Amino acid sequence: MRIEVLIAGRGGQGILLLGHILGRAVAKYTNLYILGSEIYAAETRGGDSRVDLVIADREEEADFIKVMGADIAIVMHQLQLDAYSHLIKDGAVVFLDRSNVTSVPQRKWRVFLEPYTDIAEREFGTPRVANMVALGHLVRQTSLVPPEGVEEVIRETVPKDWVDVNIRAFRYFLSR
Amino acid sequence: MRVDYVTGNTAIALGSIAAGLRFYAGYPITPTSDIFEFLARELPKRGGYVVQFEDEIASINAAIGASWACAKSMTATSGPGFSLMVEALSLAVITETPVVVVYVMRTGPSTGVPTRSGQYDVLQATYGFHGGLVVPVLAPATPQEAFDLTVRAFNVSEKLRTPVVLLSDATIAHTYGRVVVREPGEVEVVERAKPSVPPEKYRPYDPGEGLVPPMACFGEGYNVLVESLTHDERGYYAPRSDVQRRLMWRLYRKIVESAPELFDYGAAYLDGCDVALVSYGSTSLSTLVAAKILRSEGYRACSIRLRTLFPVYEEGIRRLLNGVGKVFVVENNVGLYYRELRGVLRGSEVVSVPIIDLDLPQPREVVEVVKQWL
Repeated sequence: MRIEVLIAGRGGQGILLLGHILGRAVAKYTNLYILGSEIYAAETRGGDSRVDLVIADREEEADFIKVMGADIAIVMHQLQLDAYSHLIKDGAVVFLDRSNVTSVPQRKWRVFLEPYTDIAEREFGTPRVANMVALGHLVRQTSLVPPEGVEEVIRETVPKDWVDVNIRAFRYFLSR
Repeated sequence: MRVDYVTGNTAIALGSIAAGLRFYAGYPITPTSDIFEFLARELPKRGGYVVQFEDEIASINAAIGASWACAKSMTATSGPGFSLMVEALSLAVITETPVVVVYVMRTGPSTGVPTRSGQYDVLQATYGFHGGLVVPVLAPATPQEAFDLTVRAFNVSEKLRTPVVLLSDATIAHTYGRVVVREPGEVEVVERAKPSVPPEKYRPYDPGEGLVPPMACFGEGYNVLVESLTHDERGYYAPRSDVQRRLMWRLYRKIVESAPELFDYGAAYLDGCDVALVSYGSTSLSTLVAAKILRSEGYRACSIRLRTLFPVYEEGIRRLLNGVGKVFVVENNVGLYYRELRGVLRGSEVVSVPIIDLDLPQPREVVEVVKQWL
């Protein structure tokens, strides 16, 4: 088993945190091997943010750090969807933030189009946890990692005052 | 033992702690500074010392000095910093001082693209020193290897009383991976041999039956001479050809004759291999995928990742590649390590595949270049 995961969006959307939490949860709470890399822009907000993960059940299959054909993707903004859709392969499970994505290319993807940012604002009072809403959706649909593992990683990763709201946002899709 | 998700740089810092690092001396430089930052936070909690010096020259000299006080010591740098360190590293060679230098390569020459990757300094890592001797160079490709080879670098430096270069690059530095992290006491740790004779009989550069002299540290009751001039077994300056011969051949032999023991590599798809893609460091990830693609297209390709670059274990490499029709040496520079292997593999067809890329060479590009020769 070998899975490539692409997570992309604009700077400020919590892409790197999302990727880090997912990667860490896979490393610590599954028996899978993982390699990952990050791309981010010099700007604090608005630039390109991207995390590539290669996950496999055998160590020698976790063999690269860049996505060549993503099996699973979260894309949080139209700009990155336009830039990276060629990296997402046919048959992939793709989670798109409807709050920021207006046009979905005609591809043979299994698309989940949900307004992650609007949900975060409406339900949790801040767009900053849109990333966790999306991550919860991915975990619900793919069962890539146990949700408890992700919550454990959230606890050890995000600042104390933000743990609760991040976990609640993460549970949004898992509890539906 | 625990499983963590860390970058190559953090893995090196964790590996150094597991190996018993007591003193880190450094000067910040991209892309190594997070090793420094991590150790500045963590090493003092474990009783070690971390000091920022005014430059790389002071840093390496401090690390060498600390080693003579019996503190396992390390520094980390990149191309421009390593260039400043080489004079002192020759001092470490002749004084037989165990010290680990982490060399995280970035795009060069000079400032180049300091945040991006490359493998331009693979030869400098061992040939950069004056004096013409070989220094062991170990090259990880993943965060796990970064951890494991850091421990090994310390062990080799202690066992052979030599500087050891751990050669990483900017890609590995910032790659995240699942790493089995072991704590001090959970890894095999080699300590330098101590003198077994009383202080009045101690001769600091007398190797006895072997090639590596036992090493007394300052403060242990022995007279310790740290001599950079050509010295005899007592450590006395002896400007004579016979002494120079004895010293040079011993310093040379203790490294080169360890080549079989130091030799380390990873291989994939070896079964029936006729087209070997040989690589090291981050580029070996590209070749691993390239070999898989070539296999899927019907070529009998395999991938070989060298983890020990120097000393070159010629016999071991010849045996490993025995019967392979074509050997491609893939690296992110103008084709440097190829020159080492070309000499070793006379008789096989050895092709240089130099792919210069600020990140990783794309596996597809490796495949396309290799196929031109098949």
